[in-house]
Amino acid sequence: MDSEIVLDGKPSELFPPYDVPQAPALSKKEEKQVSFFLLFREQCHDGPLYTQARTQNGGRSGRTYGQDQINKRYGQTSKATVDPFFAVPTYSQKFKQVERTLPDLDTRPFAKEFFPSELHATLDGDDSPTSGPANKRRKTGPKVLALSNITSLKTAEELFLPESQQSGLDATVSYDKALQVLNALEKRNEDGDDEGFLSGEDDDDWVKAANEDDEAEANVEDEDQYDDESGDDYNAEAYFEGNQDDEDYDEGGDDGGGGDYM
Amino acid sequence: MLVTKHLAELCSLLIEELYGELPSRIFATLINRGRSSIPQLVHHTSMNPRQLRHGLAVLLQYNMLFYSAEPDTEVAVYEANVEYAYNLIRTGKILEMIDTSFGAPAKDVMQSLLLLGQARISDLVEAYQQKIDQAKKAATEKVEDGDEFEVNGVNGHSDSVKKSDLLVKNTAQLNSVICRLVEADLIDVVHSRSFQTPQDIHKSVEKDVTERLFPGGPKGGKAKVELQDKIAESLRKIRSESKSLKRKLEQNVTSAKRRKLFSGGTSNGAHDEEVDPDLDSRQVIRINYEKCLVDLRNRRLVQFATDMYGEVTAYVYGVLLRLLTKPIARCRPDPLMDIGEDDKDRQKLGFVTIDEILDSLKTSVDLSLGLGKVAKHDISSRAADAIQEEPPKPKLYIEEADVDEGDSADEAKDSDGSNSSGSDSESDHKERPATNGSKVQFADSTSAKEMRLNRPAQLRQHLLLLSESNQHFVRHCGPNEWTVDFVPLMSALREFELDSVIERTSGRQGLRLVRILRTKGKLDEKALPTVALMKKPEVQQKMLEMQNAGFVHVQEVPRDTKADVKKSFFLWFSDVDKSLARLLDTSYKTTVRCIQVLEVLRQREKDVLELTKRTDVRGREKDVMRKEYFDRYSRFLENERKLFAQVMRLDDLVAVLRDF
Repeated sequence: MDSEIVLDGKPSELFPPYDVPQAPALSKKEEKQVSFFLLFREQCHDGPLYTQARTQNGGRSGRTYGQDQINKRYGQTSKATVDPFFAVPTYSQKFKQVERTLPDLDTRPFAKEFFPSELHATLDGDDSPTSGPANKRRKTGPKVLALSNITSLKTAEELFLPESQQSGLDATVSYDKALQVLNALEKRNEDGDDEGFLSGEDDDDWVKAANEDDEAEANVEDEDQYDDESGDDYNAEAYFEGNQDDEDYDEGGDDGGGGDYM
Repeated sequence: MLVTKHLAELCSLLIEELYGELPSRIFATLINRGRSSIPQLVHHTSMNPRQLRHGLAVLLQYNMLFYSAEPDTEVAVYEANVEYAYNLIRTGKILEMIDTSFGAPAKDVMQSLLLLGQARISDLVEAYQQKIDQAKKAATEKVEDGDEFEVNGVNGHSDSVKKSDLLVKNTAQLNSVICRLVEADLIDVVHSRSFQTPQDIHKSVEKDVTERLFPGGPKGGKAKVELQDKIAESLRKIRSESKSLKRKLEQNVTSAKRRKLFSGGTSNGAHDEEVDPDLDSRQVIRINYEKCLVDLRNRRLVQFATDMYGEVTAYVYGVLLRLLTKPIARCRPDPLMDIGEDDKDRQKLGFVTIDEILDSLKTSVDLSLGLGKVAKHDISSRAADAIQEEPPKPKLYIEEADVDEGDSADEAKDSDGSNSSGSDSESDHKERPATNGSKVQFADSTSAKEMRLNRPAQLRQHLLLLSESNQHFVRHCGPNEWTVDFVPLMSALREFELDSVIERTSGRQGLRLVRILRTKGKLDEKALPTVALMKKPEVQQKMLEMQNAGFVHVQEVPRDTKADVKKSFFLWFSDVDKSLARLLDTSYKTTVRCIQVLEVLRQREKDVLELTKRTDVRGREKDVMRKEYFDRYSRFLENERKLFAQVMRLDDLVAVLRDF
């Protein structure tokens, strides 16, 4: 009998069951609104004025007292704080987005009369660290406003949908295309006229990328990657992407350039 | 707009969410520090001037800043534009609204415009042109790729253009879409003073007017009033500069109509789209949030009416609101600018007749639905048809006449007791509502008779139903003339929202107590249990709970000069305005928390999200990612949607409380 006694080791309920209020499911209208918002956000992030770089380390937990402490929260991740283990260049880093630390202002026109005159040089793109006389951007033709090419948003449901067959097909197709592009590139490199190949399309590819289809988009992006590669081929310093940020880093300031490798 | 700590935080979080960390940091500093120049910002943020210049340029492009520059020194000071920053949250709603009421192309244009912040029309047209060209090129390439040799066949070509689902097919369509949006007042022209703070404009105008008309300063009360009027007038003039495109369009439309009339109309009828004149391509345009808010308010009111009366009545109401609010530029008149205009404004609001509503009502809507029928002798037709020419006066806080009635269940209904008691024709106003005993039938046995009722009569029934509500959805302001008094209606809606929040947080008992306090004014702690017919400890607990939440307030009144706590009176009362202000700030805070939770989720799934950002993964996550990763990713996406939906619901509340 004694052996059957089971000690009730449970402590008294410190946190009694609590009826957590559940938000009602989204109505159709709300679904639409949220989708539109998310799509808008996606397009914003795709645009030239977005700066991806985050210099905060972790979440913004904790209180801050005064501006100094707020400022200290930023600039936590920079090239100085990079984890050396991940700092070794790897192949897959080719596919990483190049993070912008400053918005790319010189790709689009502005209505300058509505900006204070002290910002005009910045709007022209003469203010970016790369715009020294040495590496003057090759800007030809008028600047054109860009409309985002992202026209649809991948929702969770869409991703769930068992369309593996189709997308599998797409994937192979795009793979083939990528190979083709690669081959073409190599040929051109051998011929030594990579300049010509590049001249039309520089980094504002998102302006010009045409297709809405995912596969095509992936294609274009791939292309983009290779473009950058080949363009900077002879510049040893720039071989591993992100040479632009170096100067920014040297400039000092808390925000020491974007962690390319974060 | 009162900028609380939470609102400031919310705005900078929103900017970070959409435009990145750099602008958000600058914006937060600008809110906290007030207007500052770049050197000051350098000092506060410890960023370098180049970063600041870039960030400020981005913020200005997105209309998030005011600035003022001294012409000789070329140093500008910047100030945060909190209103525009907050309105980012409404992007989804505004786009959805435009999508439903103007169609997908208009939504596409508006989205591009929002994306660009402000844009010169010529640039916008060029960008669209480029996109269209690309789509065409891609389409032809696709056709060639597919080994289909029907490139020269026009049909195949246009099909593939359609396939790439380009919403705006050509620049003419773009032009007409922009025209329509400008006509609807949803797009504004940016002018030289768009980026001055309202205070600055007011100050400069005041100075200007005083110097011009009252060189020695205004003397006497009359001159002061005149000065105010003059200032308001020139302020309005500046404000109307942003409507220059709209004015031009209106002139054009009238002249086009005139031409049409002269030429007989038959020839022009087919070319309706070509009537749209070419817009001045040098103009810079941006979204007009004020008018968007008016439309969003209409939608919210329709929603409200749907909850109260059902869909058909609400649909009628929606049509009425659309007709009525066409000339309204903003939800709340500006206290500085619209002072002299008051009477004119009311005229502008005008009224809508049944015929006008009928004209724009879809014929597919069955108006006989949603109407209850009451026996004829139960209806006081005199009261039902009563015409209220004056808008209701603001409700008195304590209605002494109603105190004895105090059954608290129908307290809300007595809200119109004070204002209708003035004119005797409306004294039996409330006999009609269905609640007081008479039998109302919805499924009718008298359907044959019903059929004979023609549409205008049914429409009239719907409008009467709306006008008799306690919330005063519409007012019967003249024979066959209907209007809406937005101010009392919105305050009714606010109270309704507050009540539902109270009910959610402290239950029906709590709501009942609050309503008792609203009718009785201030009540002693000891008297409250007897009035409420509840046990004393229960009442005390509830009241404390609600005091913490800010729904009721307590006042301590000492009995004598010693102010002994044991002897003092504790008076409970409920101040609606105070509760609303508290609720508003709480909603900001909740919204901030939602976005912060999202950030935490992002940190947690950091590795997955980084993977999905890779260019070789994007767009085919399912194939490339491992299953567990993919599951985590899709769960994150789901949570993100839920969080944003919650944010938008909270914004609904904020809009009702603050903007509508």
